[in-house]
Amino acid sequence: MWNRRLTLTILLALLLTLVPVHAQDAGGGGTLIGAFDVGPGGAPKVIPFMDTAGRTWLSKIFSPLISWNADMSALEPQLATEWSSNEDSTVWTFTLREGVVWHDGEAFDSEDVVFSLNLALNPDAATNFPGFSSLSRESVASITAVDAFTVEVALNAPNPRLPFFMIFAWVLPQHALADLNPADYQTTDWFFTNPVGTGPFMHDEYVADQFWALVPNPNYFRGAPKLDRLINRYFADETSALLALESGEINFTYVSGDVALRLQEEGTYQIYDGPSGVTNYFIFNLRNPVFQDVRVRQAFLYAIDRTAIAETVLKGTAAVVPCIGAFPSMWPDASELNDYAYDPAMAADLLQQAGYDTAASYELVTYYNNQFHLDAMAAQQAFLAAAGINIVPLAQDVPTYNSYFYTGEGWDISYRGVGVNVGNFPFSFYEVGGQPTTDGAPLMGELFPELQALIDAARVEADADAYLGLLQDICKFQNENALEGYMWTAVRFGAGSNDLQDFYWFPAAGGGPYEDHAELWSVGE
Amino acid sequence: MLKYLMRRILISIPVLLMITIIIFALMEIAPGDVVDYFRSPDLEMTAEAEEALRERFGLNQPPTVRYLQWLANVAQGDLGFRFTDGEPVAQVIGRRLSASLLLMGTALAIGVLVGVPLGVFIGQRQYSFWDFSLTGFSFLGISTPAFVTGIVALLIFSINLRLFPAGGMRPVATEATFWSTVHHLLLPSIVLSLNFIATFMRYTRFSMLEVVRLDYVNTARAKGLTPTAVTWRHIVPNAILPVITVIGLSVPTLVVGAVFTETIFSWPGMGSLYLEAVRGRDVPLLMGMNLVIALFVLGANILTDVAYAVVDPRIRYD
Repeated sequence: MWNRRLTLTILLALLLTLVPVHAQDAGGGGTLIGAFDVGPGGAPKVIPFMDTAGRTWLSKIFSPLISWNADMSALEPQLATEWSSNEDSTVWTFTLREGVVWHDGEAFDSEDVVFSLNLALNPDAATNFPGFSSLSRESVASITAVDAFTVEVALNAPNPRLPFFMIFAWVLPQHALADLNPADYQTTDWFFTNPVGTGPFMHDEYVADQFWALVPNPNYFRGAPKLDRLINRYFADETSALLALESGEINFTYVSGDVALRLQEEGTYQIYDGPSGVTNYFIFNLRNPVFQDVRVRQAFLYAIDRTAIAETVLKGTAAVVPCIGAFPSMWPDASELNDYAYDPAMAADLLQQAGYDTAASYELVTYYNNQFHLDAMAAQQAFLAAAGINIVPLAQDVPTYNSYFYTGEGWDISYRGVGVNVGNFPFSFYEVGGQPTTDGAPLMGELFPELQALIDAARVEADADAYLGLLQDICKFQNENALEGYMWTAVRFGAGSNDLQDFYWFPAAGGGPYEDHAELWSVGE
Repeated sequence: MLKYLMRRILISIPVLLMITIIIFALMEIAPGDVVDYFRSPDLEMTAEAEEALRERFGLNQPPTVRYLQWLANVAQGDLGFRFTDGEPVAQVIGRRLSASLLLMGTALAIGVLVGVPLGVFIGQRQYSFWDFSLTGFSFLGISTPAFVTGIVALLIFSINLRLFPAGGMRPVATEATFWSTVHHLLLPSIVLSLNFIATFMRYTRFSMLEVVRLDYVNTARAKGLTPTAVTWRHIVPNAILPVITVIGLSVPTLVVGAVFTETIFSWPGMGSLYLEAVRGRDVPLLMGMNLVIALFVLGANILTDVAYAVVDPRIRYD
């Protein structure tokens, strides 16, 4: 009798293991319609690798090995559960999640990862940027499937930050795409008509230029989503999306700071906010001898009341930064920093010491065209004029601006933004050949050996605390030398209807991807 | 007439070629290209990556070679792929053109059906209450841009009254039906038609006033014809000729689309596509769009001439 009961129990247990672990009842949570590609989410392009933004939406269908966590403070496991490297960070091992199935029911394994990473590094495929973020084919020695759930990436040079680069490497199904010529990734409609991923939602209906609807993936590895349907509706601009939100047609959209403050006062919407991770700053072209004088650069900082602009013009939606780093963790102790508090007398004094010609006028070129930045630039212009610095703001469209900015010629000062986080620090602006320039000099126009030594050390520093310490040293150097005119980092906002439940949105640069637990989202009372 | 049409079509071919050359040259002169569009301040792009992109888009070839290649492809019916996402240009234009034709065609039809009769109405009542009122309306209609009327209409009818959707061509949460399309179409087409109504009304009124005092009209009246018969048999057919020209000149706007209205109402038409193409320095898309627009303009001119001959039996082209 006991033996029969034991046998039955074992059989039952065995049967249970055969049932897909995650197959659960999906749906029941309503239909959520969002404008996910307005604002920092990016343009409605849907081909992974080709998209430089819009990852908020891509991460609903596809998964990377690793993503940001909910507030971009650390990395979160996705298709990889663990990762580690050898001592010099040249060989990285990724342990993959077991039991994951593709939307079409096929099993996921390490061959899919090897296929996807090779594809991402293949220049013939639809990649606009080198591999996953800044890796090139030449920097990767090999990508190997050690076993069904272990992948090894060997590099030609140490890279302690490789896991951060994996955020941008979507994993695609080898069984569905292996026969496709890599060059055809630029024109295939597979991503719009028949995409297969491992993400929380599966393709349902795509109407070009209008919307993309998804249904829950009952086998999602974090559990079946609650929503019945998730729809991304495309809008040409923020105003149209806002009107749709206010008319009750959509549940969520990105909104600018002034709109967010208004909606917050009305109290009829849920407001989501977070740091943009983008620093707005003046980049001085140091090919111009005028800006090679540190006193002139410091005068720019003393002349502008950055705190007043952040509080009044930008209505408190921006925080002043001491260097290029957008997050306080990247700054040294305040006692080691010059806060460049508003001091027009000091600015005038420094300009006089430097022999600055107050009759001179410089164009302040930018690609920003929205009111937020245009107002800020008008205020900056007024403060600088009061100190004897004449600037003329000039806003251009992105291609025009980019067509000459990266050559290092044809401009003296630029007001721009750069995304900065611990995994993706813009070292290349300060290095020879880091960005293509016409004279081969660094984009800044001048080399700083002390800064370069810090950058070189940070690049290969494997210890996380030591690396952060080096970033803080870089910040201190930038601050002391007023290497650039550091202004502020903005807070970004999203607005959602009050019936959204367990919904999460974070203004990660380019839309992330970050862990938003979309499987928990629902709409309704 | 047939000979005339053939001649016009043959003359149009070098005109079309000239247009494509000018557009291509303008794109060459304009600063920046699609690689500059793809650059992101957040991501690094090395010289090698930039070179690979230029290679992929064929930007390393001399402009003349690129233009001739484009022309050779067009001669074979291939408009190429758009740079920014690789979709075939013909497919994108086909989709956007049908959306624009639906919106602008409806707006133009409303403009003709409302504007012309109103013009006839006030053309017979010069300096009356109706003349002053509707002329005042026409000034308002012509001088108020669609992005103002569009936003006001959305605030009133979509947000406050919730009578119409706030944009798009169809519902996204349910299936699209004929009536749901009409529902989405009404508000933007009415907003767009305001300008057409005002323009057509003004031209019809002016043209009516020119004809209404001519001798043959007085003769018709003296013969004892009823006022209605005089109006519709003798005045309107002659007064309508200049209005046909104005309507004919409005036809190209059907293809070009209305950038502001399409943007405000999230209508995926040609106007907003043109803006996207310029922003992205998307040469194949811009060339394809300009070719289609030029074809429509030339076609509209020919059709206007034909309409003249149909309405006025005195006009013969042979």
